Amino acid sequence: MDESELQALKRRTSIVIVIILALFGILVVRLWFLQILRGSQYLKMSENNRIRLQWLPAPRGNILDRNGRPLIVNRPYFNVTWNKEDAPDPELIIRKMAAILKVNVSEILKRIREAADYPRHLPILLKEDIDWPTLVYIENHQYELPGVHIETLPSRKYNFGNLASHLVGYLGRINEKELKKFGDSYLPSDQIGKMGIERIYEKLLRGEKGRRYVEVDVHGFEQREIMEQAPLPGKDLKLTIDIALQQTAERALRGKAGAVVMMEVNSGKLLVLASSPPLKLQEFIGGISTKNWKAMLNDPLKPFINKTIQGQYPPGSTYKIVTALAGLSEGAITPDTIFYCTGSMLLYGRRYHCWKRSGHGAVNLKKALRESCDIYFYHVGLKVGVNNLAKYALSLGLGRKTGINMPNEKPGLVPTKSWKRRRYKQEWQEGETMSVAIGQGFNLVTPLQVCEMTATLANGGTRYRPQFVESVIDADGKVVKPFRPVIDGHALGSKHSLALIRAGLVAAVNEKHGTGSVARMKSILVGGKTGTAQVVRLAQYRHLPAKDIPYKYRDHAWFTCFAPADKPQIAITVLVEHGRHGGSEAAPIAKALLEQYFNGKTAEHPTDK
Amino acid sequence: MFQFDRRLILNFDWILLLTVLAVIGMGLVNLYSATTNGYTSSHIFIKQIYFYIIGLGLVVTIISVDYRVLLSWNYVFYGVIILLLIMAKFFGNSAGGAQRWINLGFFKLQPSEPAKLAMVICLASYYYRKDTGKGFSLRELIAPGLLAGIPFILIVKQPDLGTALMIAMIAISMTLFVKLRWSTLVIIIMACMIIAPLGWKFALKPYQQQRIETFLHPEGDPLTTGYHIMQSKIAVGSGRAFGKGFLKGSQAHLDFLPEHHTDFAFSVWAEEFGFAGSVFFLACYTFMLLLGLNIALSARDKFGVLLAFGIVALIFWQAFINLAMILGLLPVVGMPLPLFSYGGSSLLTNMAGICILFNIRMRRFMVKTT
Repeated sequence: MDESELQALKRRTSIVIVIILALFGILVVRLWFLQILRGSQYLKMSENNRIRLQWLPAPRGNILDRNGRPLIVNRPYFNVTWNKEDAPDPELIIRKMAAILKVNVSEILKRIREAADYPRHLPILLKEDIDWPTLVYIENHQYELPGVHIETLPSRKYNFGNLASHLVGYLGRINEKELKKFGDSYLPSDQIGKMGIERIYEKLLRGEKGRRYVEVDVHGFEQREIMEQAPLPGKDLKLTIDIALQQTAERALRGKAGAVVMMEVNSGKLLVLASSPPLKLQEFIGGISTKNWKAMLNDPLKPFINKTIQGQYPPGSTYKIVTALAGLSEGAITPDTIFYCTGSMLLYGRRYHCWKRSGHGAVNLKKALRESCDIYFYHVGLKVGVNNLAKYALSLGLGRKTGINMPNEKPGLVPTKSWKRRRYKQEWQEGETMSVAIGQGFNLVTPLQVCEMTATLANGGTRYRPQFVESVIDADGKVVKPFRPVIDGHALGSKHSLALIRAGLVAAVNEKHGTGSVARMKSILVGGKTGTAQVVRLAQYRHLPAKDIPYKYRDHAWFTCFAPADKPQIAITVLVEHGRHGGSEAAPIAKALLEQYFNGKTAEHPTDK
Repeated sequence: MFQFDRRLILNFDWILLLTVLAVIGMGLVNLYSATTNGYTSSHIFIKQIYFYIIGLGLVVTIISVDYRVLLSWNYVFYGVIILLLIMAKFFGNSAGGAQRWINLGFFKLQPSEPAKLAMVICLASYYYRKDTGKGFSLRELIAPGLLAGIPFILIVKQPDLGTALMIAMIAISMTLFVKLRWSTLVIIIMACMIIAPLGWKFALKPYQQQRIETFLHPEGDPLTTGYHIMQSKIAVGSGRAFGKGFLKGSQAHLDFLPEHHTDFAFSVWAEEFGFAGSVFFLACYTFMLLLGLNIALSARDKFGVLLAFGIVALIFWQAFINLAMILGLLPVVGMPLPLFSYGGSSLLTNMAGICILFNIRMRRFMVKTT
């Protein structure tokens, strides 16, 4: 009985063998399905599981002046972070860090509370931008401060404060619109040029981020590096700007609203491009506060406006260059044509005054330019007509954007008959031609345009486009993009006419009764033209002594000049808003620059030609 | 009793020993990979080695005593196990919400592991004493049902669904092996079909229900419960034909795989050695089980046959459920892969089981057929 039972059990064992083989067979089939059929898919999934891409920031390019002096460079910016998870005794660390960072414990606790929503393994930012001694101390005491780390971020260092602030601009955190526009190459935490050169040359300055592929575990902790592609540093920009001259210009404009433009007449290279008041660049690092932003917006001197290219002003007497050129070229006058100035003239029953109420007497071209006689230019304007004035103005670069590589440049305004019809649905009045002829009508110009006009006059009629980048230099110091002058056009009229006007401007600076005598130099012959741009034509203010006119109704002061007169190298244009008189307010600034350029230059930069 | 008989050595199953050593060797290689930090072996690996050394003592003890001693000690074992299970419930260490361990100082004993083996011994003794020739009726199943039911309920209450299921699987396998009447079988199956939905509703904890639901729809919840299944399948699948290589399994080494040294140990193996390595492992494992069944076939007494079968069933079901779970064929339950996964209790229990197999084989000449 027992034996038969035993045999029965053993028979059943063979069934068990079949069952075992069958079930393990299922497992083999399943393995085949997962590993052979779907293997590649799962391999890809496992890759995605573990490989993380880290971006390595590229050092941003430096901005240098024409002599290679660094204007804006990078500086590392050190933040202290703390990984609470790594600290066995968090309270001790909090107390230690409060002492090291010289802050209250409560402040650190506040930061920890603020970070409560972030994933636990993400470090908490304890303090931004710590100084060097603190950094060294923390680095040396790493072992006593488990979980405390120093995070290094690149930032901008402004070697010369707010110098050329409108030109260089600033960086800010990229916004949603920009992210959409530039797509993949930026991260939401990235900085991007928001204004000026930082924005215009963003692509060059920025370089290319490096990539680092690291293997991470499920918590996101780095295990090892798989591949690294080094970042490509941004390119350096060497500007045509001269830091020393720019400093002189900005110092002279301090406390005023205004602009200074200084240009090489034979290339269009800008030596100075100053707008006052400057932007406070420091405040933009790490994002400007609403308070500071509002303060800048509400400043009556309007620091946000780059007055060199966005400030549009009546040109005042500087426009007499245009009127003179039109008169000579159109044959309305010769250098010897004489008009009599009695202090005023009548046209259709309305009296038009010269700025000099007692009159200039007999006035020829030279005297007219020297003493800025309005009556003379009224006559010339009437003879050539407003449309001819416009033609010559345009050829000198007024009424259109200069083409400087900066956004939001204003074109100014050169009025014509058809413009008035379009704009006001009215016919042009002869009297308006007279106003235009002395630069007080509808015309509007920017300081850069006036400087370009002066440069064109000085170099004999070639209109160079204003540029501010001397060269683009890569990280190895190789020039990848040299400066190339761009000629945008030529002044209408003969070289002789331009020479006659230059002679008039030289007289204005160097002869008796000249309006620009303030800019006179001992060693160098300067030619220049003052200008006073009326802000209002309200009669109630016109007769008041200058100092009693409310600031915002005071006239703008212009001075534009070139030097040396025989072989011009540079042109300088100064505008001081509400500065009243070009001769007294604007010309001294130009004089200071001339002195520095011609007299100080050889001493300071002996290698520069 | 302890006098040495030359035939004990002659009858030792050397092939089984080699196969078992192969499986254990693969387990250790895998454990090293699963737990190393990249430079040194981890304390877990060292601990497992210690367990094998302790296990060696167990081996010597078990094979030197005639397995039929178990016949007289079976209820003592059973009683001790039940006591330990109760102790674990009330005084045990809890981990992951389950109270499964009794801290013995040097080692945390998980009594539900030896309970499986005790179940095998107990049922083998019980059925050995019963006349099983005509097959069991329903009434005759009450006693073995109680024998299995008490530890089953205690383990379900821990809660440890996997081990409880294992107890049930062993009991069912062994009972079917000794033969049931057809009528009994039909009644049991029908009863199960009625009880199963009720059990789902009342006996299972929400997390256990969720695990089963997740198994049925893994894509619905990839971050929490579906995560284990998904990551395990990624690990296995990404091994492809020949694997990523020893120590190169990214899934395991980067902690994407949960429990990769215990229940999910095999997915590390499959990831690092691919289809080829996996099939090789399964072949060894199957061969080991078939050698176990061969011992059952060669045993000269009914107790030996039942005991050997029970041990094979114990190892087989654990292995199958574990592997099927890793490959996404069954829901996730706590179930180690015998002789492969890390864990002292499981290791010692399964080694003891294997030793009993050797024991039966060695002493087959001693049984006189009547």
